[in-house]
Amino acid sequence: MSLLELKNVYKIYGDLHALDDVNMKIDVGEWVAIMGPSGSGKSTVMNIIGCMDSPTKGQVLLDGVDIASVSSKGLTDIRRDKIGLIFQQFHLINYLTALENVMVAQYYHSMPDEKEALEALDRVGLADRAKHLPSQLSGGEQQRVCVARALINHPELILADEPTGNLDEANEKIVLDLFRQLHDEGTTLIVVTHDAEVGAAAERVITLEYGKVTSENGDTSFGKAARKDVV
Amino acid sequence: MFLRMIAGVLLRQKGKMFMIAFTIALGASLATAMLAVMFDVGDKVNAELKTYGSNITVVPKEASVVSDLYEVEGASSVPASYLREDELGNVKTIFWAFNIVDFAPFIEAHVNANGQDVTMVGSWYNHHLSLPTGEELDAGVVSMRSWWDVVEGRWLDESVAADAEKVMVGVALADELGVSAGDSLKVSGSELSGSYEIVGVYEAGGDEDGQIYAPLDLVQELSGTEGLISSVEVSALTTPDNDLSRQAAKDPTKLTAAQYETWYCTAYVSSICYQLQEVITDSVAKAKRQVAESEGAILDKTQLLMLLITVLALVGSALGISNLITASVMERSQEIGLLKAIGAHDRAISALLLVEMIIVAIVGGAVGFAVGFGFAQIIGYTVFNSSIALSPMVIPLVVVLVIVVTLAGSIPAIRTVLRLDPAEVLHGR
Repeated sequence: MSLLELKNVYKIYGDLHALDDVNMKIDVGEWVAIMGPSGSGKSTVMNIIGCMDSPTKGQVLLDGVDIASVSSKGLTDIRRDKIGLIFQQFHLINYLTALENVMVAQYYHSMPDEKEALEALDRVGLADRAKHLPSQLSGGEQQRVCVARALINHPELILADEPTGNLDEANEKIVLDLFRQLHDEGTTLIVVTHDAEVGAAAERVITLEYGKVTSENGDTSFGKAARKDVV
Repeated sequence: MFLRMIAGVLLRQKGKMFMIAFTIALGASLATAMLAVMFDVGDKVNAELKTYGSNITVVPKEASVVSDLYEVEGASSVPASYLREDELGNVKTIFWAFNIVDFAPFIEAHVNANGQDVTMVGSWYNHHLSLPTGEELDAGVVSMRSWWDVVEGRWLDESVAADAEKVMVGVALADELGVSAGDSLKVSGSELSGSYEIVGVYEAGGDEDGQIYAPLDLVQELSGTEGLISSVEVSALTTPDNDLSRQAAKDPTKLTAAQYETWYCTAYVSSICYQLQEVITDSVAKAKRQVAESEGAILDKTQLLMLLITVLALVGSALGISNLITASVMERSQEIGLLKAIGAHDRAISALLLVEMIIVAIVGGAVGFAVGFGFAQIIGYTVFNSSIALSPMVIPLVVVLVIVVTLAGSIPAIRTVLRLDPAEVLHGR
């Protein structure tokens, strides 16, 4: 069953076609990596899938709803209810503790629950760092707080933009292991990356170049094979 | 969570918040100081001007007719009639009693002193009055002729019983008679003669330098005018004249009831004169026009100057506060982008930022108000040698100013950051 489907999606800035007739389909529970060189349109796809931008043309169906025709307020609601976002720069609020950063997502979603937020931090191995401010955490720890924040509201889709871009090898492994656990639990993951190792961990890799999909590796054995290497 | 976020910003970003609160405090202190001084400067300047003498003279009706006939004010002719000394206390019973800051009765007599005919003036010096209202007042020549220079000896002191039989002599007369402080003066009045010790020699810079000043009772005894006085000088805090007061001064009976009430209940020099006439039998109270008008003009100009300085200070502080708040909100665009990305609606973000700013504004405003009031006192003691009273208008004005300036600085900035696309902000574009 498909969770997300892009049909003939274009994003045009003046003469520049950032996305040029992009089509892709992602099923529930799938782990997909979107790869490509700089300027290939990865971030544009991520913004459109993440309901932070709208396509110039085409349809983007998330859970059967065409988000291309949804208002800005409606897009905010979809982000809140269905999507968990993970950023390369973590984007934690620097005056809130790790625990409070997780609870902020709960607050805008429904109701903050300190116990549940603490469990989410425990899951990413940071229960003992709950009261620390972002400035007191390492890059890897900050990214794990970001993961905990993304998964706290049990989103249907986790969207990660270069999640290991600012991490060392050890932390990259921790984050990928977390993704693997989420995937095993049936969470749909879309990871935008230019890191081959991160891409290899996914079930499927969609490659973009000059705003077009140039290859779509539907063979899940590629991802699983890579997973064995990483593990 | 909302409160935790507010507390997080306020407690963990102390430096930034302190800077904003500090700027608001500076602006609020400037506004408080200027407004407090502006509202009080009228009374202060008025009081200052009062040290240069009286602005109202009360004389008997007949004396007033003579002086009007010859178009001279304060003519030294012997008054054809007198006022009653026992009515002096009424001066402090009129509607504007608290605006009467000083007054003194005068009686003049022609006497012979050491063989020379001179004018002898009887008056109060530091006459202590305990009024039924509870007000305590030392009224008399010492405070109403504060510019007089006692070149030898001292002022007459009414608290010293022996001074009731002593006199002061003008510097010109002292030279003429060859007397100085400590000497005795032989004085013959129409009713009595005696020898009186000179306690001081004064220099007034006018006709008074050729006269003798003595206690009121002594001159009354010498001239046989016990219980009578020839004039009263009154020093009153007044409101500058306007068309209504000028119209009323000509004939208060021509005013409408509403005009009359407004005029009577305003401290115009003409309404105070009118009220003095009501309480002193057969008297005419007249404003010393030149003094009253100069005071009014000085007061108007001082208040205009203060108003302009206050407006400039307020505009300056408003711009400073507004700029800092705008910069501070703009700095947080990434955080706001993130909140939008995780599902916060514009209204929730606006509420968060506004509540933060209002808390900072309240703290900064309160500190600024206290400091500003302190500044006002420094200005008061430096310029007027007295404290500045806090007008009830200052508090609401400062509160409104701080809120308006904070909102004016915050709202456009919040609108700008809310218009930002979270995708762009989060990618640092």
